[in-house]
Amino acid sequence: MFYAVLEGLRRFKIPHSFKFVSIITLYARWIREGRLKVDPSWNKEGLKVTVQDPCKLVRQGLGDQVAEDLRFVIKAVVGEENFVDVYPNMSNNYCCGGGGGSIQAGFREKRMRFGRYKFEQVAKTGADIVVTPCHNCHTQLIDLGTYYKGKFKAVHLWNLITKALVR
Amino acid sequence: MAEMAPLLITPETRPKLREIFEKELSFVNLDLCLTCGMCASGCPASGIDGLDPRKFLRLIMFGADEKILSSQWIWVCTLCDRCRYVCPMNINIARMVYRIRGMVPKEKRPPNLQRSCELQKKTNSTGIPNEDFVWVVNDVLEEARQEPGWEDLKAPIDKKGAEYYLNQNAKEPTVEPEEMVHLWKILHVVGIDWTYSSKWWDGANYCLFTGDPEDWEYTLRKQVETIEELGCKYYINTE
Amino acid sequence: MGAGSVLVVGGGIAGVQAALDLAAGGFYVHLLERGPAIGGVMAQLDKTFPTNDCSMCILSPKLVEVGRDLNINLLTLSEILEVSGEPGNFKVRIRKNPRYVDESKCIACGQCAEKCPKKVPNEFDRGLSQRKAIYLLYPQAVPLKYAIDPRHCIWLKKPGRCGFCAKVCPAGAINFEDQPQELELEVGAIILAPGFETYDPTPLENFGYRRLPYVMTAHEFERLLSASGPTRGELIRLSDGRIPRKIAWIQCVGSRDINRAKVPYCSSVCCMYALKQALIAKEHIKGPFEAAIFYMDMRTMGKGFEAYLERARREGVRLLRSRVHTILPAEEGLLLHYVDEKGNLKDESFDMVVLSVGLKPHPTLPSLSQVLSAPQDEFGFLETRLLENRPGVFVCGVGAGPKDIPETVVEASAAAARVENLLAEARHTETREKTYPPERFVFPEAPRIGVFICHCGINIASVVDVEAVTTFARELPDVVYAGHNLFTCAQDTINRIVATIKERQLNRVVIAACTPRTHEPLFQETLRAAGLNPFLFEMANIRDQDSWVHPDDPERATQKAKELVLMAVNRVRLKRPVPLATIKVRRAALVVGGGLSGMQAALSLANQGFEVALVEKSQELGGFARRLFREVYGKPLKVLAEELAAKVASHPRIDVRLGVTISNVEGSVGNFRTTLSDGNVIEHGVVIIATGARPYLPQGRFAFGYGEDKRVKTLLEIDELLERKDPLLKELRQAVFIQCVGSRNEEHPYCSRVCCTHTMEQIIKLKEINPELEIFVLYRDIRTFGKKEILYQKARELGAVFIRYTPERMPQVETKEGLKVLVFDEILKRDLVFEPNLLILANGIVPDAASRELAQFYKCATTSEGFMLEAHLKLRPVDFATEGVFMAGLCHYPKFAEESLSQALAAAARAATVLAKEDLPAESLVAQVDPRRCTACGQCVALCPYHAPSLEEVRPFGLVSVINPSLCKGCGNCAAACRCGAIQVKNLEEEPVLAAVEGSFGRIWY
Repeated sequence: MFYAVLEGLRRFKIPHSFKFVSIITLYARWIREGRLKVDPSWNKEGLKVTVQDPCKLVRQGLGDQVAEDLRFVIKAVVGEENFVDVYPNMSNNYCCGGGGGSIQAGFREKRMRFGRYKFEQVAKTGADIVVTPCHNCHTQLIDLGTYYKGKFKAVHLWNLITKALVR
Repeated sequence: MAEMAPLLITPETRPKLREIFEKELSFVNLDLCLTCGMCASGCPASGIDGLDPRKFLRLIMFGADEKILSSQWIWVCTLCDRCRYVCPMNINIARMVYRIRGMVPKEKRPPNLQRSCELQKKTNSTGIPNEDFVWVVNDVLEEARQEPGWEDLKAPIDKKGAEYYLNQNAKEPTVEPEEMVHLWKILHVVGIDWTYSSKWWDGANYCLFTGDPEDWEYTLRKQVETIEELGCKYYINTE
Repeated sequence: MGAGSVLVVGGGIAGVQAALDLAAGGFYVHLLERGPAIGGVMAQLDKTFPTNDCSMCILSPKLVEVGRDLNINLLTLSEILEVSGEPGNFKVRIRKNPRYVDESKCIACGQCAEKCPKKVPNEFDRGLSQRKAIYLLYPQAVPLKYAIDPRHCIWLKKPGRCGFCAKVCPAGAINFEDQPQELELEVGAIILAPGFETYDPTPLENFGYRRLPYVMTAHEFERLLSASGPTRGELIRLSDGRIPRKIAWIQCVGSRDINRAKVPYCSSVCCMYALKQALIAKEHIKGPFEAAIFYMDMRTMGKGFEAYLERARREGVRLLRSRVHTILPAEEGLLLHYVDEKGNLKDESFDMVVLSVGLKPHPTLPSLSQVLSAPQDEFGFLETRLLENRPGVFVCGVGAGPKDIPETVVEASAAAARVENLLAEARHTETREKTYPPERFVFPEAPRIGVFICHCGINIASVVDVEAVTTFARELPDVVYAGHNLFTCAQDTINRIVATIKERQLNRVVIAACTPRTHEPLFQETLRAAGLNPFLFEMANIRDQDSWVHPDDPERATQKAKELVLMAVNRVRLKRPVPLATIKVRRAALVVGGGLSGMQAALSLANQGFEVALVEKSQELGGFARRLFREVYGKPLKVLAEELAAKVASHPRIDVRLGVTISNVEGSVGNFRTTLSDGNVIEHGVVIIATGARPYLPQGRFAFGYGEDKRVKTLLEIDELLERKDPLLKELRQAVFIQCVGSRNEEHPYCSRVCCTHTMEQIIKLKEINPELEIFVLYRDIRTFGKKEILYQKARELGAVFIRYTPERMPQVETKEGLKVLVFDEILKRDLVFEPNLLILANGIVPDAASRELAQFYKCATTSEGFMLEAHLKLRPVDFATEGVFMAGLCHYPKFAEESLSQALAAAARAATVLAKEDLPAESLVAQVDPRRCTACGQCVALCPYHAPSLEEVRPFGLVSVINPSLCKGCGNCAAACRCGAIQVKNLEEEPVLAAVEGSFGRIWY
C-alpha cells in the first residue's frame, strides 16, 4: 500500500535514509528518458483503455502530477487515440469502494452499492480495459464488473507495459 | 428515515467523540462544519445505512457516540478523502473515521480485516511463511527464464546495496504468481539494480485501516529497518 | 497650491461618486483610471438588484456628468508612479500611457475599428466575444474615444505593416507616435477606489469551469444577459446556440472556503445577484424555464433584499440549501448530484450552470499599496478605519472589502466628506467656473433660425441624404442659415457654430443630429458661448429615430429627416428665452436626531465650516449606541458615542437643542424654515434626518417564553450582562440562541442585518468568560456577510453549534417545568431538546413610528415597513427624492454602527454639495399657473410627485394653485391634467406642441 508508507513515514516521523517513490513516476520517467522503450502497435484491435486513479496514490498521495504520469504511460503503451478518460478524474476521482479495508471487511452488497458510481463511470467510457494501479482497486473493479455485468477487464499497468515492450 | 425519539442535549450530555476531535485532533476542523452538504453529495457511501458524511458529523456534534461506534458505516467508508477534497472548511472526515475505528474493540471490528493486520504484524497479510515467498519467487523466475530472450531475467532477494528496494503485494505470490514476472521484465529492460527482501516483503498493509496507529507504525518500522539493513537508495512498491 | 485638489484613483462607481461629490463640494478632482474608459464593473452588469434597473442606464448619466464636469480632470490609461508629501500637500507622479488616438480629434465614428484586421478577446465581455485592436471599451464609454491596444496592434508591433485605421480615420486622430507622459500633480488628499476582480474558478476543477461546456461564471452570465453583450442580450448557450431552459446557480464559488479557494470571507453580493440573474433569465426566455439556486445561507440582508428573495420564490426560483460536490457532464447538458431537503440523494440535469463567483482584491492592489504605503489587510484588501487608510489617504468601495453598490456609493460619498473635513479651508480655491458672454436680448427681433445638420460620420449620412435635408431646411421660412457637418459635436465644429451664430445674428438654433439625451447640454452651452439664451434651441434626432431604424430605405429616411427638421423649426420659432433659474442657499444645516449618525453628520458639516443645528428629542446625545456592547474601530461603541457627544457639545458651530421635536416645516432646498416644539425657528438650506429605530420586543408567536421565564433574554440584555461582567455568566453551562426573532416574518418582512453578527460577537465574549459554556444557535440563514464571516468561523471554532430551522417548523420553548427548547434538526431529521440555563433571542430592529411623521414634514416618503425611502436604492442611497433632505443611520434601515457612521458622513458630503454653493441651479422650464383660469380643483396638488403646487389665497383671484418653482421639476404632469388649461410648462405650451405635430405632417406652422 503506497499510502501506508508515504503517510506512515510522515505521521510517525520514522527516520530513514532512502527515498520513497511511486513506480508510476518511475515508469513515466523511464519512458521519457528512453530507458523503457514501448510501442503501442500491439494494440491492433484498437482496444479502448481507461484508468482508475487510486485515491490513496493520487488524491491523498502525490496529487494530479502522478495522475498525469499515469496517463502518459498508458497513452504510450496503448496509443494515445485509444485512451478514454473518466469524468471526474485525477484528484477528484470517485473512490471505487475497494479501499479502507472494505474488501476484507465483508458486507459485499454495501461495497457493491458503494462502487456503483465507479462502475457507471467506467462503463460510460465504453472502454475494454480499465487500468488499476492499486491492488484494492484491481480487486474491486473486477468485482464490480462481475456484479454489474460490465464489459471491461481490469488489468495492472505492468500487463500493458510488457505487451508494448520494445527490446 | 423514520421519525425517532428526540435527542436530549442537556448540560450533562458530554459528548466524548466531539471532545476528542476538538481537543486532541483539532486539525480535523469538526467544529467548522457549515452543513452545506458538499461532502454528502459527492460521497459514494452516502445513503448506505442511512448515513452520509454530513450526518456523521452531526451525530458527533450532538453526542450520539454510541450510534456511530456501533455503525457499520465507519467500515463502509473507505477513508477515500473525496469529501475533504472539496469541503470548504477542510474537514478531515477520514481521519475521524479512522480514529473511531480504533475506538471499536478489536473483537467488534470486521474479523477478516483485523486478522489481516494481525498476520501482517507477524509476517505478512496472508500469513504464508517467508520461505514460501522466497520459493515462489525463485520457482516463477526459473519458469520465466525458459521464455526465449529472458534467459538472464533476475529477481534478487536480500541483495545488499541494491539501488532499489521493491516490495510485493502478498496477493501475487499467493494467488497469481505469474503477475510478478511482468514487473521483473520491465525492471530488467530498464536495467536497474533492485532487490526483494525475504522478510517484511509484503506491500499490502491492512493495519492502515484497522484504526490502531501503533500497528501501522510497527509494520512500517519493520519494513524501514529491513531496507536500511539492505542499504537501498530507493523504496518502491508495486503502486 | 494643491490643497484644493483631490486625487481619486479608480473610475468605477465608487471613484465616480466620490469625484462628483467632491467637485460639487468645491474641490478640483483628478480622476485616475487605469483603463481607456471609466465605468468599472458596474458598466458590465446587465440589471441591478433589487430594483432591476438597467445598470448602464442608471450609471451612464453619472459618467456623462464626470466627462462634462469642468472640475474633474479625467486621466485615463494612467497609473501612479510615486507619492510623496503629507495630508494637505501630496505630490503625485503619474504616467499616462499612450492611447495612440488623439482624444481631442477622435469623434468615435468607429470606422477605424471596422477596418482594423486584428481580432482579440473582448475583456469587457469577459472574453465571450471579440473586439479589434483599436476599440471602444463599450458603446457608452466615457470618454467616448477609441484606443489602440498596443499588445495587439499590428502597426505598433511592426511599423509600416498595417495602418488601416489611420487611413480611414476622417478626423486624423490616429497617432502611432504617441508616447507615455509623466505628470506631477499636487493634491491635498487621495481617495482610493481600486475595485475588485471576480474569482477565477478554474482551479476548482470540481465545478467544471473551462472543462465542461455550459458552465460559466456569473460575471460572464451578466454579459450574456446584457443588451450590449456578445449575443445582444439573447440568452443562449454560446457553444451550441441552444436556449437553456433549466439553469442552476452554484453559490459561494471562491467565497467562504478556507480549503482550496482560500477565501474565508463572504463576498456579500452573490446571493442577491444570483436571485437577480434567475429572475432576469426568466424574463429573457420565452416559454418554459426553470431556475435553481444551490446555496449554504441565503444572504439577503440589505434594504429591499428580503422582499426580492420572496419575489424570486413566488416566481418559481427554486432555492436548494445544498451544495454540489462536482458538476458532471450529461447528455446535452450537465448533471448535478445533490442531497435534497428531505435528505435524499438526487440526480438532476440542467442545461447550464452559473458559478456565483466571489469578489477578490484587484490584482493591482499590491503595487498600489506599495506606491502609496497604504497597508493591506489579511485578505489583500486595503485597510480602513472609518474610510481612512493612512493620514490623507481614504478608501471606498470593494477595494476595502466586498460590498454591494449602495454601500459602495455611501462609502464614496463618505470618503468625500472625510476629504472635505481635511481640506475644508481650501474649498473653492482651485475650482473653475465656466463663464459666458452676456446674453443678447433677442425679444424684439424677428426669428432668425440656423439649422445645423450632422453626418455623424457615416451614421446618418450613409442613409440620409444630408445635402437634400440641408437644401430643404434652407428654404423654410425664417431659416437664415443651413449647413451640414461631419461631426457636429467635434470641438472645431462647435467653434464654427459659435462663429456662425454671431456672424448671421441667429436667434434660434436647430441641430439635427443624434439624441438630446447625451448632447443637448453640450449644444445648449454652445448657444450660451455665442451669447444666446440656451432655451432658444431644438434638436431633431435624425440618427436614433431615423437613420438607425431605416437603414434599408434611404429615400423615405431622407423624407423623414426633413419632417423631423421641420418639426424642430416650427417649434423653435415659438420659443422664448427663459432665464436660468437659481436658488439662493441658506448655508446652514439642520440635523434631526442626536444618535451616532446625527452626531457624526453634524460634526462633519461643522468641521467643513457650516453652521449646524442638532435637534434631539431626548435629554441626552448618544442614542442607541450607548446601549450596545461591541467594539468599533478598536473602541467600545459606548466610549466612541460619548467621545462624539463631547465633541458635538463643545463645537462652536454646532447648536445642540435637546428635548425638542419638529413641529412645522416650510420652504424647500436652500431655504427651509423649521419650527421646533419649543417655538424656536431654525433657518437652514439642508436637513439630515437621523432619527434611529427601536429594538423589537419579543411578543406573540415570537415571544419564545420572553417575559415568562427570566432566563429568556434579548441580545441587548445580554449586552448589559456582558458589559458589567455579570457573575451569572460564569455559572452558565448551556446557552441557546434563537435568530430572526422579529425579523423575516409577515409582521416584519425584512432582515435586521446585524443580529447574526452580534450573536457571533456575543458568543466570542461568552466563550472568553466561560470557555466550558455550550452554545447552540438556532437559525434560518446565517448572514455574517463580508469579512464578518470570520466572526462566524471563530464562533464555530470556539464550539458553538449551529442548527437550522425553517419558519414552517419554529423552535418550541417550554417554560413550565424548567426551560426547554425543542428544535427539529433538518439534517438528521430528528427533534433535539435542549435544557439551557440561558435562552437568548436575537431580536431585530423595527422602525420608529415618529419617523413617518417627520418624513411627511419634509415631504419625504417612507417604505411600507416605515423606514425612510431614499431617492434611489442603488445610486442615491442617502438622498431623499426631495432635494436638500438626506438621511443616515437606523431610520434608513437596520445597520451596523460602522455603517451608520459612513452613512452619516455620506449624508454630510451630499449636504455639502448644496451648502458649498451661494446659488443653486434650478429647473428653468417650470410649470406656471394662470390664476385667471384656475378653478382650484386641486388635481395638480394631488398629482405632483414633488409637492410643488399648493392651493393658496391669491388676491384678487381667491383660492388658486400656486406652484413653487424651486420644487417644480418641469415634468408636466400638472399641465397635462389641468382641466381648465391654467397650467403650462414654459416653452412647452400648447402652441409649440401643435406646431411640432403639424411639422410631422410636413406642414409649416407660421
